[in-house]
Amino acid sequence: MTQEEKLSIIKEILLTDEREFSASIDQKLQTLEDTINKRKNLAEKIDPLINDKIERFVKDIPKTLGPSITQALKEEIKNSQDAVVEALFPILGKMVKRFVQHEMKLLSEKINNQLNKAFSFKRFFGRTKSKIKGVKDADLILQESSNTNIEQIIIIEKGSGIVLAEHSKTKTIDEDMVAGMLTAIKSFVEDAFKKEKQDLQYIEYELYHIHLQNFSSYYIAVIVSGAYNVLYKDLLENRLLDFASKHITSQALKDKIKLTQKTQDYFKKYDNI
Amino acid sequence: MTTSKKIVLLGHFGVGKSSLIRRFVENTFSEDYKVTIGVHISKKTIDTPDKKTISLIIWDLEGHDDVEKNRASYLMGTHGFIYVFDASRPVTFENLEDQLLILKTKYPNIPVKVVANKTDLVKKTEINQYNDIFKPLVDFYTSAKTGSKVDLLFSKLANELI
Repeated sequence: MTQEEKLSIIKEILLTDEREFSASIDQKLQTLEDTINKRKNLAEKIDPLINDKIERFVKDIPKTLGPSITQALKEEIKNSQDAVVEALFPILGKMVKRFVQHEMKLLSEKINNQLNKAFSFKRFFGRTKSKIKGVKDADLILQESSNTNIEQIIIIEKGSGIVLAEHSKTKTIDEDMVAGMLTAIKSFVEDAFKKEKQDLQYIEYELYHIHLQNFSSYYIAVIVSGAYNVLYKDLLENRLLDFASKHITSQALKDKIKLTQKTQDYFKKYDNI
Repeated sequence: MTTSKKIVLLGHFGVGKSSLIRRFVENTFSEDYKVTIGVHISKKTIDTPDKKTISLIIWDLEGHDDVEKNRASYLMGTHGFIYVFDASRPVTFENLEDQLLILKTKYPNIPVKVVANKTDLVKKTEINQYNDIFKPLVDFYTSAKTGSKVDLLFSKLANELI
């Protein structure tokens, strides 16, 4: 064995480990670079840590931030009560309305259920009537039990608001003033909505309902007390249309005395329509 | 038999339209100024010299410096107009001629009475200096405060409407 061969063997023995070590370091560095620079790899490693941290943060919010957020909100609400009321008012209004509608629906259903259980000839005929009219049975019951009365009928010229004829059981209001004001309100509403050929049809005033039946040159205002519902409106409309077709002509509109007499004669027999 | 007629009062703000009506209908007057918003309707029944009864439905409209600013539907079917101005405030009668022309054009057959109100606040000499405007146009010089010529104004117009 020459001197050179001996040296080579010694080198081999001494440096092999170093080289292997260096190679393993290179390998580890490469893996680390891959992990840091490649999003997917980095996410795999870091995401669980972040999730864990967030989870702990969320859990701790009520303890750490809760009191200060509550305090800040309290202060804010206290300082801007008007704004809060302004913001909540429409929402509350809608909620109340929806609640009332829901309760009314429940009431109506309850009445229907009771009626379905109850059997009598009267209700049998009542149900037939409601089916023919296409009105709910419950509405019919309410209608029958309510005391709806025509208080006053005024035939009014469109535009001027002049009374063309009038019929009332007990004279409680000045028909000229009411006719004028109704005409002004009608004009205002119809102008304000800026829709052509649309008419105001109904006004509610405490216990009174003012039904407005519109014709071309005049309209009929019927002041009704008691329950005014779809069924009643339907009956009243039919009655007014029948009256108008039978008794109102352009000539008749010019004679207040005759038209008033005709109105009285026609509606006297229909206290409850 | 009572005949009903619609009378509409027009004119600038604060010329005394509502006060004229109150004086005519209730025979009262108040110095407190309450602005009319929208429309206010009053009624008074009067007997004409030829023994007829006429019910005046009086529409008191909110004041506008231009009659065209009034809601047109409020003027529909009117039987007689009363155009009121304040004799003590020239700004309320500066455009009088134009305003009357608009009324005459839009409502050609409807009588219009032109009223110089608040005459209690001005001297006759002050009125005379505007004679160029007033003489050809003004029908009545009224005062809602004193009641001067108020009844005459409404009864003259009512007679024309029968």
